[in-house]
Amino acid sequence: MPESMLKIPEAFTPDAVSKLDAEARGLLKRGEDVHLDGSGLTRLDSLGQAFLAALHADAEHQGKRLVVHGLQSEARERLKTIPDTLAEEKPPEPPPSLFESTGAGAYTLLREWRDIALLLSESLYYSTFGRRKSKTVLRGDTVTQMIRLGSTALPIVLLLSSLIGFTLALQSGLQLSKYGAAIFLADGIGISMITEIGPLMTAVILAGRSGSAITAELATMTVQEEVAALQSMAINPLQFLVLPRFWALTVTQPLLTIASALSGIVAGLLVGLLFFDLSVAAFMNQVQQAVRLEYIWQMLVKSVTFAWLIVLIASVKGLAVRGGADAVGRATTACVVTCIFSIVLFDALFSFIFYL
Amino acid sequence: MPMTTDRNTRTQEQAEDVPLRVRGLVAGYGTRKILDGVDVEVPREEIRVILGGSGSGKSTFLRNVMGLEQPWAGSVELFGKPVDWSQGRPPDDSYKRIGVLFQAGALISSLTVEQNVALPLRIHNPGLSDALLRELAWIKLKQVRMEEAGDKMPGELSGGMRKRAGLARALATDPELLFCDEPSAGLDPVTSRSLDDLLLELRETLGITMVVITHELDSIKALADKVTYLSQGKIIFEGTLDEAAHGPQEVQDFLDRTPPDGDGKDEGVMAFNLED
Repeated sequence: MPESMLKIPEAFTPDAVSKLDAEARGLLKRGEDVHLDGSGLTRLDSLGQAFLAALHADAEHQGKRLVVHGLQSEARERLKTIPDTLAEEKPPEPPPSLFESTGAGAYTLLREWRDIALLLSESLYYSTFGRRKSKTVLRGDTVTQMIRLGSTALPIVLLLSSLIGFTLALQSGLQLSKYGAAIFLADGIGISMITEIGPLMTAVILAGRSGSAITAELATMTVQEEVAALQSMAINPLQFLVLPRFWALTVTQPLLTIASALSGIVAGLLVGLLFFDLSVAAFMNQVQQAVRLEYIWQMLVKSVTFAWLIVLIASVKGLAVRGGADAVGRATTACVVTCIFSIVLFDALFSFIFYL
Repeated sequence: MPMTTDRNTRTQEQAEDVPLRVRGLVAGYGTRKILDGVDVEVPREEIRVILGGSGSGKSTFLRNVMGLEQPWAGSVELFGKPVDWSQGRPPDDSYKRIGVLFQAGALISSLTVEQNVALPLRIHNPGLSDALLRELAWIKLKQVRMEEAGDKMPGELSGGMRKRAGLARALATDPELLFCDEPSAGLDPVTSRSLDDLLLELRETLGITMVVITHELDSIKALADKVTYLSQGKIIFEGTLDEAAHGPQEVQDFLDRTPPDGDGKDEGVMAFNLED
């Protein structure tokens, strides 16, 4: 019997295997044969089989011997079921080159925006010229979606917008009052809430709230073959699923944006009253003078555009899902990120256009 | 010319006798070809079972035939009319004549069972009153013995009930051709048997033609008039179950549940050095 005999424990617990593995490989490294004492082993399980197979192959590879001593007959039988081939290690795929990954990314992006543009044109078509052609929409679904996607977002929109209006008014009021011009905080709040913060805040909240809901719902429906079932009943998924949501947000988002801007202005008014001794009449008068009608139009154009961005991106992401639960999760994340990114991008574009 | 007109009507009638005709269907995903030239004709009132191991292209066949996916080549005719894939669905006038039972029922999860069953009729006939649609849904649910579950949401149902409800919805338009994707998969033997009985009963009473995809042996034996066996994207056998008993070895093995020879057996076992 060789001296350096490693004792196999009674059972191959994960801990025991790791320990034994380290010891055996240590022996191999030093160029020694490995002798295992298997007399205590009662049951050879899959983990043990894998351990012995890998060790055996390594030993042979290095021209050494793996000898198992005193194995009981049951374990011996199990040993005979180990195939003589090992799991092949697949070489890791080389990471795509910079050109390749840039190209692939650009291609995906391009295809996605093409889908979004297509969906927009189809949505508009089926809402106008194609209305009579075939109507596969559930009666009242648009209203349901308005409530689900729009109305229920009102409290959070009001709360966040007034908080932002409050902060903004306080910060700018502090600076302006240094010059004795605290009344101008009404100009600042009025203009910024209506042209920028109202549309942007509402869009970001709705992207996170309603956009993700749309993607998750459509993606789950796609995964569960519900979309295919619709198609098999000759129901156009675009008309049945996308159109109600499209019009729901197109109507509710501008309304929410107006509510957001108003609540921000009211918060500004409160700040003016409490901290800067402005009167209600003076504040409102100042707001009326500062806000021009075109600002309101800008707000509405922005909010409708953002609404379309959210619905279309969310729908494209949702309907393009293939796979299972993990794909639904990824699509939802991607939807919110893409929505917020494109909202900010379009907001910058609008600022530029309106500046001209 | 009168001659040609006569001949056209006759071919039209013949086509009507064959609700489903597939010619040279080639289909796949990405660059992977899954179906490679499949020809199938299912005559009226036949229950045709499409067989094949996992990954043999059964579901792809169904999705292509129903017009949900565009095949690479070949043609599909439903009731003698070619499917136009650009629509992403069966031809408009044939939707009423086709029903589909999806693997997991595929009920629309935001609608109740009753609304699901009435959905195809409600959508295409906006004039129908709600009371009428509810009555119709009730009749269909009774047909699949689900009448007590009409007000439930799909999420509250068990797998077997979802399939029954899916079947009720597929039957709502009184289809002449019914596609079933794995009707008994994942069901216990008793539920699965009762679903098979239900399908047979429907064929008996309504004369529905069926294309059934399954690999449950009991279902195959209970349902099949004829079987079509797909292997690696090709049809290697078509005929009755009795004929299948003398068919290609793979088909016989499938029906006898014999594992194929070769796999894993010709490999040797690892030779360990053993010492007592």
